[in-house]
Amino acid sequence: MAARPKTLKEARATYHTNSELAWWVFMRVSGFFLVFLVFAHVFFNNIVTNAGTIDYTYVAERLARPSVKVFDSFLLGFALLHGVNGLRYSIEDYFRRPGARFWAKTILFTVAGLIFVVGVMTLWAYTFQEMGDAVRNLTPSH
Amino acid sequence: MYRGREGQWAFFLHRITGVALALYLLLHVFDISLVMYGPDGPFNAFLIFYHQWPFRIGLVLIIAGVVYHGLNGLRIILMDFTGWGVRYQRLMWYGVLGMTTVIGIPVLIKILPEIFGGA
Repeated sequence: MAARPKTLKEARATYHTNSELAWWVFMRVSGFFLVFLVFAHVFFNNIVTNAGTIDYTYVAERLARPSVKVFDSFLLGFALLHGVNGLRYSIEDYFRRPGARFWAKTILFTVAGLIFVVGVMTLWAYTFQEMGDAVRNLTPSH
Repeated sequence: MYRGREGQWAFFLHRITGVALALYLLLHVFDISLVMYGPDGPFNAFLIFYHQWPFRIGLVLIIAGVVYHGLNGLRIILMDFTGWGVRYQRLMWYGVLGMTTVIGIPVLIKILPEIFGGA
């Protein structure tokens, strides 16, 4: 792909589909919010805390707090969409053969989807232990 | 090799920091998710592995990437959505590099002794 458009007007003229224009706008809107979300995240976990001392207790205590759950959910959603769309741009720029491009994107979206599910589970759902117990409890006898 | 002006270097740095941050994000969500296995799970062993100095230097580079990518992203937003942004893009890029350095020096002063001070 040639150089990406540099102004909203150019973007409107360049992208023939509404979805590409929407992604172009999304990268800027999400990017703006991510500056604050990611800078705060890095500040709390690398400057306020010595990252070399982070362990299970620290992370579990953080993830138990509703404020962290909400903050990290926005972080996870925006960062994954922004990051994966950025990787998609990179694949479209550097993978010239259609076959290679298709497979690179398929692998990317599959991995990203799994990581999103795992991230949401970590923030909101049960532990694997509790989920395993719940599934086992569905069957009356072993 | 094509030797572009500042804008090309701004794009190149934005691209490699962006790819690095996105790949780090995928790994980061995965390793934090190991917390779900509980206190006796693999989480602490993973973290102790990542507390070795090469990975901590890597994390410093990730932080530098975050600062550059975020500030340069704000420069892109100003270029795209204001009438004057493109006119001052080169000046703003030097501003981005300057601010990255200004933010980076105290970060290094804070973190490097944690890695090499034996604390």
